[in-house]
Amino acid sequence: MTARTESLLEPRPTPLVPFVALSIGVHVVAALVLSVASWLFAPAKVSLDPPPIKASLVRLGKKRDEKLLPRKEEPPPPPPAAEKAAPAPTPAVPDKAVAIPTKDAKPEPKKDTAKDGAKDAKKSLFDAFNKTARASKAEELEGAEDGDKDGDSARQEGERYFGLISAMVKRNYDVSDTIPEAERRMLRATVKVKLGGTGELLDADLVKASGNDLFDGAVLGAVKKAAPFGPPPEHLRDGLKKDGVSLVFTP
Amino acid sequence: MKLLATAALVLSASVFAQGTTIEISGANFRPMPVAVPAPLTQDDGAKKLASEVDGALLFDLQACGLFQVLDRKSYLGAEKEGITASSITFPNWTNVGAESLVKVQLSTDGDTLRGDLRLFQVAAGREDLKVSEAVPAKDARRLAHKLANAVYKYFTKETGPFETKIAFVRKTAGGKDVYLADWDGKNAAAVSTGNINVLPSVAPDRSVAFTSYRRGKPELFLGRPGGEPTPLVANGRMVSGVDFSPDGRRIAYSVADGEAAEIWVANADGSSPVKVTDTKYFLNSSPSWSPDGKRLAFVSNRGGSPQIYVMNADGSDPKRLTFQGNYNQTPAWSPRGDLIAFTARDERNAFDLFTVEVATGKVKRLTQDAKNNEEPSFSPNGRLILFTSTRLGSKSLFVMTFDGNNQIALPLDKGEYTTADWGP
Repeated sequence: MTARTESLLEPRPTPLVPFVALSIGVHVVAALVLSVASWLFAPAKVSLDPPPIKASLVRLGKKRDEKLLPRKEEPPPPPPAAEKAAPAPTPAVPDKAVAIPTKDAKPEPKKDTAKDGAKDAKKSLFDAFNKTARASKAEELEGAEDGDKDGDSARQEGERYFGLISAMVKRNYDVSDTIPEAERRMLRATVKVKLGGTGELLDADLVKASGNDLFDGAVLGAVKKAAPFGPPPEHLRDGLKKDGVSLVFTP
Repeated sequence: MKLLATAALVLSASVFAQGTTIEISGANFRPMPVAVPAPLTQDDGAKKLASEVDGALLFDLQACGLFQVLDRKSYLGAEKEGITASSITFPNWTNVGAESLVKVQLSTDGDTLRGDLRLFQVAAGREDLKVSEAVPAKDARRLAHKLANAVYKYFTKETGPFETKIAFVRKTAGGKDVYLADWDGKNAAAVSTGNINVLPSVAPDRSVAFTSYRRGKPELFLGRPGGEPTPLVANGRMVSGVDFSPDGRRIAYSVADGEAAEIWVANADGSSPVKVTDTKYFLNSSPSWSPDGKRLAFVSNRGGSPQIYVMNADGSDPKRLTFQGNYNQTPAWSPRGDLIAFTARDERNAFDLFTVEVATGKVKRLTQDAKNNEEPSFSPNGRLILFTSTRLGSKSLFVMTFDGNNQIALPLDKGEYTTADWGP
């Protein structure tokens, strides 16, 4: 053995480089395999946000023959009349009220009773026609025979109380026609609504604005005009009071 | 068990806490309440023309369907106000329910009439639009249309329809004549000169093609107000129902062929005619071009009853579009492309207007319980429909929005008006 071969400064072949290259290669392949496997076998993503509810009340009515041309969409029925306290009794009106003469009053012309009779008959005839016309119009409403008289949709979806909220808000969902159609497609606003035990509106907050003042004002106005909504069912009462319900408006 | 029930209760509470969401769509789009006080005038010349400008401006804003012009009787102290924001008491306008306020000031300079318009957002007390226009004093109504177009464009970002032209047929002592008029039916000028002339179509250059019986058989003629009409397609056969393609370079029309009627397409001058339907024993008529000029809507009874069909402009790929009703006719393709308006006879034997979605075939009713309503024609921007109605007695022209709202009669002189066409 010479001093030259013993010297540490003398370069000599080493097996380290191929090992390092092999190691890098193996790690890269392993990483690729793992990422592909994780993508292939990963469990479905769980969204913590509950899906939006499409709630609607089916309308009471007859199904229209599909071969016939459609009738014009009728406006939704008026909101249910709130139960009012019995009105205070009013004094009976005398058969013929006595007119109090005033300075500017003109004398009442004498009535021709025969003419009046003919007029009354004519009026009652027209009233009868009108009633018939109205009755025939009401028969045209499309819906289901077991539908809800407060319903505004051809089919029912979701929780009935949410359907009722939806129907009542929709009746007041008036938006200005001046909003350009191109803009309408992108409008979306969210109003958080909190309700009390009798369905009264505790709070209506525009939590996500659409960016269009007219639309945002209209959706808030729709909620406020629609309230009160009627007492919520027991199982929804606490949630509606504490956490509220979000109404997502699109045109 | 108790533990499980508690867990379920907590879980349901937490789900509610995360937020129940209800989706609400189907807004009732309604006209914006707008106050339009009478124009202010700065001189006697303007004073004389004010009512003409005022009438035209009010009609434009009312009939376009975007605005609900509030009754002037409710305006409080409008006469004391000027045209600038500082002179306006905005709470007064809020009180009458106005969301917007339109102020107009007129002045004359020789033969020129000048109009200044300011549009205010009432709630904010803010001036949103300021525009000035000038026209020759004899065209006072045109000034109103220009100002109305400016307001329309401010809100919709689209060109308004108020300076467009319509053609219509008016019954005369000796027959029926075709007229070309402003969009509101005013300034009407005769295009045809006697005999029976019907079914006009306005070209992009505002010449008018129509079906004329002046030589006995129905033939196509082309005319302009003040000129003598010239034959367009007059080949000895019975030709009718012409429609210009949107670019004005072609025409489509119907030719009687024995017991059948077929649709032909030709150059705008009537040259190079090509028959594009061939159904021997059936009638094909009333062609209407799609806005891209590639397709035609038409009526055919090849399926047993008159129905609306669409096909390529060369006649290929015909498809039936309507399946409801048994008498559908006079299709008019919307310049937006999505809808075709048509007349249909319903089960009560009333003629009414409908639209059908080209993509889905969904039919929507536009008119109902108002006598007979026929012959729709879309405005060039597709937002309005001009049509004939008998609701006031004799046939007259009405306008409504494309979805059937805001049906208003055109302010026409007494007479019988039919088969209107809305041009550029």
